[in-house]
Amino acid sequence: MGKYVVKRLLYMVLVFLIVSLLMYAIYNLIPTDPARAQLEPLKRSLRPAEYEKRYEQLRHQMGLDAPLVVRYARWMGFVPDVNGKFDGLLEGNLGYSQLYKTDVAEVIPIRMKNTIFINIFSTIIALAITIPLGIYCAVHKRGKFDSSVQVLTIIGYSIPIYIIGLIFIWFFAVTMGWLPVSGIETPGNHFTGFRAFLDKTYYLILPVLVMTVGSLGGMTRYVRAAMIDSLSMDYIRTARAKGLREKVVIYSHAWRNALLPVITVIIGWFISIFSGSLIIENMFGLNGMGQLYYQGLMNNDYELALAIQMFYIIISLVGQLITDLSYGLVDPRVRVDK
Amino acid sequence: MKKNLSKVLALVLALVLVLAAFTGCKKDGKNDPGKTPTGTRENKIIYGSTTEVSGDLGNAWWSNNATDKLIRDLIDDYSVIVFDQGGQMVVNTTVAEEVSDVVMNDDGTATYTVKIKEGLKFNNGTPITAADFVAYSLVAYSPATLEAGATMYADTVVGAQDYQDGTTKVLSGVRLLDEYTYSISITPDYAQYYFGLSYASLSPIYLPLYSSAALTVKDDGEGVYLDGGELNADEINASRYVYADRVSAGPYTLKSLDVGTLVTTLEINPNYAGNFEGQKPSIKTIVLVKAEDETMMDAFKTGEINFLSQVSEGEQINAALDMVEDGGFDYCHYTRNGYGKIQFQCDFGPTQFTAVRQAVAYLLDRNEFATTFCGGYGSVVHAAYSTAQWMYQDSEELFNEKLNTYAYDPAKAIEVLEADGWVLDAEGNDYVSGVRYKEVSPEEAGDYALNVTLDDGRILMPLHIMWASSEGNSVSDLLVTMLANGQQTADAGMVIEQNVMTFTELLNWMYRDTSVGEQYGVPTYGMYNLATGFAEVYDYSFNFASDPESPYVEMGYNTNYIFDKELDDLSMDMVYDAAPGDDAAYLDYYQKFIIRFNELLPDLALYCNDYHTFFPSWLKGYEESSLWDFQKAIIYASIEGAK
Repeated sequence: MGKYVVKRLLYMVLVFLIVSLLMYAIYNLIPTDPARAQLEPLKRSLRPAEYEKRYEQLRHQMGLDAPLVVRYARWMGFVPDVNGKFDGLLEGNLGYSQLYKTDVAEVIPIRMKNTIFINIFSTIIALAITIPLGIYCAVHKRGKFDSSVQVLTIIGYSIPIYIIGLIFIWFFAVTMGWLPVSGIETPGNHFTGFRAFLDKTYYLILPVLVMTVGSLGGMTRYVRAAMIDSLSMDYIRTARAKGLREKVVIYSHAWRNALLPVITVIIGWFISIFSGSLIIENMFGLNGMGQLYYQGLMNNDYELALAIQMFYIIISLVGQLITDLSYGLVDPRVRVDK
Repeated sequence: MKKNLSKVLALVLALVLVLAAFTGCKKDGKNDPGKTPTGTRENKIIYGSTTEVSGDLGNAWWSNNATDKLIRDLIDDYSVIVFDQGGQMVVNTTVAEEVSDVVMNDDGTATYTVKIKEGLKFNNGTPITAADFVAYSLVAYSPATLEAGATMYADTVVGAQDYQDGTTKVLSGVRLLDEYTYSISITPDYAQYYFGLSYASLSPIYLPLYSSAALTVKDDGEGVYLDGGELNADEINASRYVYADRVSAGPYTLKSLDVGTLVTTLEINPNYAGNFEGQKPSIKTIVLVKAEDETMMDAFKTGEINFLSQVSEGEQINAALDMVEDGGFDYCHYTRNGYGKIQFQCDFGPTQFTAVRQAVAYLLDRNEFATTFCGGYGSVVHAAYSTAQWMYQDSEELFNEKLNTYAYDPAKAIEVLEADGWVLDAEGNDYVSGVRYKEVSPEEAGDYALNVTLDDGRILMPLHIMWASSEGNSVSDLLVTMLANGQQTADAGMVIEQNVMTFTELLNWMYRDTSVGEQYGVPTYGMYNLATGFAEVYDYSFNFASDPESPYVEMGYNTNYIFDKELDDLSMDMVYDAAPGDDAAYLDYYQKFIIRFNELLPDLALYCNDYHTFFPSWLKGYEESSLWDFQKAIIYASIEGAK
């Protein structure tokens, strides 16, 4: 097991390096000049000589005069930067955000916190609804309830989350006035402790609701399908023939076996807790990772966008490892130590 | 055990959600902003900005983020020179006892002496003296600030360049004359500048915010310097993000700024002496939140934000006007201080000829364009001006008489083209139909890729304009329909070929920026569509540099690549021949410049939006304009029946 994990970790490092080089090269193919972009607002107030001086200074500071490979090596921290220091990704320097005019490492944590706070609720609630619902539908296959759920999940699955969001805002916020349209907390509040937590939760009900509803369809259908497969197995018939209680048959025998395909998706969901939803965050004014990534791309802040992308690459590599390891835990037939 | 734990967790989660919903629903009157009973209203407004606050409060030396600027404007004031409601530069008499007339020195420099009023205070009660104003220069031009990544240019103040380079610790161009008086000397290059008075303008800063050392401003007769330690880049950078107890001197004090929730709270500064008219704010709290385009209208309806600012889309304006009609809301509207335009590059291809640019103007029904694009809430201007400018208002009659409005007239387009020599076809015969050609000299022909060289050596240029338009742009879509694909354009023998690209790519072509690719150095597109806005200082100097070899052209100042001596001279003389404060001379040059601009058409203005700003009807006295934004207008506003 340990050997397998070490092997996978080495493989992850290699993949990360290859992907980082590719991503860096792709971002650098975009024809834009960050030094010019930074000086542009001041152009009208600078004389040409001053502009030229500042421009050259900035290009030097940003290391734009060096070839791509050198810039990559500096960015990663393999070689010293223009100031002669090893100060790259490997040393914990995620880069400098041109948009926020500060280090990327300063920008990310607060957004990450928001994203995790939002996603953790919606993931737990969605799983708490979809798993029992999927199991119930599989057990009562083709019943009235199952048919209704099938229709609703198809509808839910087909409607874009953007539309679900707009409908929910119109109903819950504008028409009924129960919930706020957007934001993370009551503007100008001075709440502390549990009151602050409640206030934040109140503001997040609507986005969490939209995210949950948006994800119900897919997962319910997935669990249902896995359970139907599992319930049709011979060992279920055997378990029933032994006279086991139906609850035991379903939850101990069928569900444990159905879990194997479902676990990939569940772990994927938990991994996605770290990544923001672009649409939801933009729609509800939630200052999270999705919105940050979008801002980075739209404002040509490539160091910011690259840092986020690198983070997601690490998350997905780690996620894959966890998924593979969890197979072994869930299904004794699967061995991951070879 | 496990089962019980799950049940408890589920119950707690459900309870939290229900409790939160229940607590939230109790917010009084929030969902009915217009009908909250008078007398129970909080003395607070919530302003939603679509630009995310970055939290950088370090003057304008780093960030040009609109929301950061809005906060800075509300917490920092007391500039000696300010712009009034009409966009005119005036002395802030709340701050300055006296600003002397400019003294022209023998070495070509100019000196202004400013006497500050006694009794001014920072928000923490600390008295403000001239040293606090002078400290602004010492921090702004310091090498540490430059090292901290600020973009402060130091060529306007005498000695600032040496001070910034670190060759001296004394800023010789700024003098601390006594406790309430300072002087500032402007370099010869800027001494004759019409807006030169603005260089005499400093605003007070609180030195302990920028350094942990006990710094004081001293002047031993050679200029000002900092005594007691040195500034360093790390502390300068840290000062940008100090929120708690931030010492400032504006109408409001920063109460909190949370970059996590994007909420900023400001409260009245009780020590504020007033703006340049002595006006003090009456609204106790201003909360700034992030607003999203998609849900802004809903948030406004429910009272989560109190402003729908600068709405320009017809559909949104109509929806908001319906709300006004239903009661509970009010609005103001004004013409935008800028315009959407077609920008021509005038040194190659067909667009180098004034007649072609004029023909494009005649071929486009700009009134119809503006009406369609702005949904009925827009107008057309005919040169580089805004109807809100005081200069325009003083020139309206003259412009009505002198400016060509280029009213839609396809026949006139053909007439100007024929007069300019666009009378041939591709074989060099008389033009009958299809694309027009003109016989051009080798200099005029340049490297334009579409030129045709006949067997007899004549070079013909087709009336084929390459157009760079940015993707996902509704102006471009409308231009395709109304101009590029218009029958009148084809009938005039003109081809306008649209090339869709990202806005960054468009700028690369417009600036001919070879630093990101050699290809951009080749003049390719003669026509671009974009928008422009005017700054408070209307100054087009160097933007029409007429010498093609000029460094201003090389560095992309003259993105029209129009090399017209008269236009260049007028744009320069407007600010460098009109003496500081000589409004009549400035106005005279402005009028001539606009008339010349209108004739040459380096830009063809397409539309000028009519901005609408909506707010609850309980907000009284709020008058926003294109030159008088939220942060200035809110000082005059009050909340009816506020607690």
